[in-house]
Amino acid sequence: MSSLFANYRGADGTFDELCSADGAPRQAFRRALESLGRLTPEEFTRCQNLAELALLNQGVTFSVYADNRGAEKIFPFCLVPRMIAAADWAKLERGLEQRVRALELFVRDMYGEQRIIADKKVPADLVLGAKHYLPKLRGIRPPGDVRIHISGIDLIRDPEGTFRVLEDNLRTPSGVSYVIENRLLSKRIIPGVLEDARVQGVDLYSARLSAALRSVAPHGRDDPTVVVLTPGPYNSAFFEHSFLARTMGFDLVQAADLFVDDDHVYVRTTRGPSRVNVIYRRTDEAYLDPEVFRPDSVLGVRGLMRVYAAGNVAIVNAPGNGIADDKAIYPFVPDVVRYYLGEEPLLEQVQTYVCLRDDDRKYVLEHLDELVVKAVDEAGGYGMLMGPSASADERNDFRERIKASPRRYIAQPRIELSTCPTWISGHGALGPRRVDLRPYIVQGASGPWVLPGGLTRVALVDGSYVVNSSQGGGSKDTWVQKP
Amino acid sequence: MISRVADHCFWLGRYLERAESTARVLSVTRQLSLDAELPAAQCWRPVLIVSGEEEGFLETLGDGGVADGDRVQDYMTWSDDNASSIQASVSSARENARAIREVVSQEFWMTLNELYLWMNNPQGRAQYRDDRDGFYRHIREATQLCLGVLRNTMLHDNAFHFISIGLLLERCGQTARILDVHHHVLTQLSMHQVVEAALWLSLLRACAGGEPYMKTNHGRIITPDGVAAFLVLEPAFPRSIHYCLIHSYNRLRSIRSPEEPTLPGRDVMIRLGDLQAWLAKKTPAILAREDIHALLTHVVDETAAICDGIRTQVLGLGQQQSQVSAQ
Repeated sequence: MSSLFANYRGADGTFDELCSADGAPRQAFRRALESLGRLTPEEFTRCQNLAELALLNQGVTFSVYADNRGAEKIFPFCLVPRMIAAADWAKLERGLEQRVRALELFVRDMYGEQRIIADKKVPADLVLGAKHYLPKLRGIRPPGDVRIHISGIDLIRDPEGTFRVLEDNLRTPSGVSYVIENRLLSKRIIPGVLEDARVQGVDLYSARLSAALRSVAPHGRDDPTVVVLTPGPYNSAFFEHSFLARTMGFDLVQAADLFVDDDHVYVRTTRGPSRVNVIYRRTDEAYLDPEVFRPDSVLGVRGLMRVYAAGNVAIVNAPGNGIADDKAIYPFVPDVVRYYLGEEPLLEQVQTYVCLRDDDRKYVLEHLDELVVKAVDEAGGYGMLMGPSASADERNDFRERIKASPRRYIAQPRIELSTCPTWISGHGALGPRRVDLRPYIVQGASGPWVLPGGLTRVALVDGSYVVNSSQGGGSKDTWVQKP
Repeated sequence: MISRVADHCFWLGRYLERAESTARVLSVTRQLSLDAELPAAQCWRPVLIVSGEEEGFLETLGDGGVADGDRVQDYMTWSDDNASSIQASVSSARENARAIREVVSQEFWMTLNELYLWMNNPQGRAQYRDDRDGFYRHIREATQLCLGVLRNTMLHDNAFHFISIGLLLERCGQTARILDVHHHVLTQLSMHQVVEAALWLSLLRACAGGEPYMKTNHGRIITPDGVAAFLVLEPAFPRSIHYCLIHSYNRLRSIRSPEEPTLPGRDVMIRLGDLQAWLAKKTPAILAREDIHALLTHVVDETAAICDGIRTQVLGLGQQQSQVSAQ
């Protein structure tokens, strides 16, 4: 093998995405990796620097919350792609479509008849006690009868190479703009490698999303007014909000640009008010409408939920979806698939202990040093106990918290994440780093579509399991091979 | 278009123009201070007055600082305390553009972002230190590049018109203030004709008008009345007050057709129309008999009021609730 991969070895006990245990490239990726491997470390360093400079000049950045000056950082990027073989992807794609269809039916049911509770397939107190369940929305049918328009389903790969769902994101999953920008960098900097790898394109995303948004317009309008709603330039994902509006050709608005009059929502324009039909909101639902959610909030659009209830605006994703991506519901998703679709789930997930159940809680409290404990209503890697690496004090702290409010916690065995060769600039060489995968699924009136690939996040710190951008994670371009 | 977006467009145009204008004035004044054998404070004080920053400068650096060209340049180029500094103008232009990246073209955004990054990395500082002229030229060229890229890569829609209006009204105010301040100083002085000509030429250059003036006047000796008439009235010169008013009025009319009386912003459009019509009646002969300071003060005040009117009337900002019309 040529120079770049010459001394590469995966980490012990992990599955490496690109290379087998002896460091040889996996059969499916041999041609592409030989092509990439022809670069010397010096040449690769130049390529990597070029990519980082391009991201900076284009302002492909995220804002850092902690910094009140609204400083922008580039999301660290590694030019070595994460590849997925055609056969593996075909299975994933079917599994993801199935999961989203089932979750969609679950949310519809929960805001309708609640058959699944009556049939005792999920515990009533668990579902109805979810923080994101909004009983006020029961009985409202959203335009197009779609609620989960855009989802991001986080997957990991275990030491045997099996993909497993880690969590569902059904509210406002972010990151898709990086998928598309990362591909532009690959095309620009390593075009020959991309060509040799025979990769499925990702640039259709905006057209698919635009079609889905238009398909759910109220009253079946042909040429609806669609807007993208952002909290503003200081939001950490502002680049993405702007990117989506720009690539779809829709207006990007802030809550103060919108107002409600007589059960319709309008945007303030230089020619006076103009009616809006579809809102792709990238704001948290707690800030959608102070009349309903947070009376103290100055954010949001007063009366928006009245318009929604009257069926005069589509809100994407629908408010209330949090009931289905709650970490406490996650263990029941395979049952949800069986119940609504009458099919066996195609995707594996991670074994999960629900602390609300007496048996599970007992097991969790006895095995805290082996488990990862997660608060069900936190995200972004916060509110977690990594049992095997935590101190005795931290474990005791979680023990008390679990006893005090068992519904808030679930626990899972720690899964060894798969790795991918990643450029370590300090060493001038490749090293194995842990990755996950967030595919994006777009669902309009005609059903789900999966973007080939998704966001590969990588834990850049040696030995780390945390891939979140807020905690030292970076990203890679994800290459799904053509069949 | 969305009112908030229009507001960002308007300010994007203003800040871009301000960055360029400040770079031009600093560059010309630096040349002047090397050539004209004038006391340094007499060269540099007008720079601070034109930008409206004399007070802020005196507070931080004192009156002695005015005689120190480097201090004035540092203040007008880099100071965070000074909202008119080149640095602050470029940052504000970029902030406005960043908020409306989906509206301006991607190529424009990258061009502006690269200017911003250049000013904020060691390259920009090093050029300022080692090659001051080259630094100011880079600012002028980069802002001109932004405007050229914008003109040729984005839709000539209302967003583009709002950027242009912001730019033209800012330029109108700049030209009026530069002329007013210098006219006042220069007519007070009595000195050798050659020195005086050098001063008037540098005033023209501060408005990028040196060569255009010569072309229009076929190289005749520069006179105070001639310079004033050129900078106020010349319809073919893109930085004359007359040019800026006519073109901003036309842009506003294409955004807000006078045939649609119910659209917001009728009063401000009439006001801008009146101002340009008032100026259109002037001739160089009339101008020579008038109090130029009073005329320029009227232009500056009216321009400020029009900018304000665009914000409150056309954009409905700074008001509680805009009216709803049935649709």
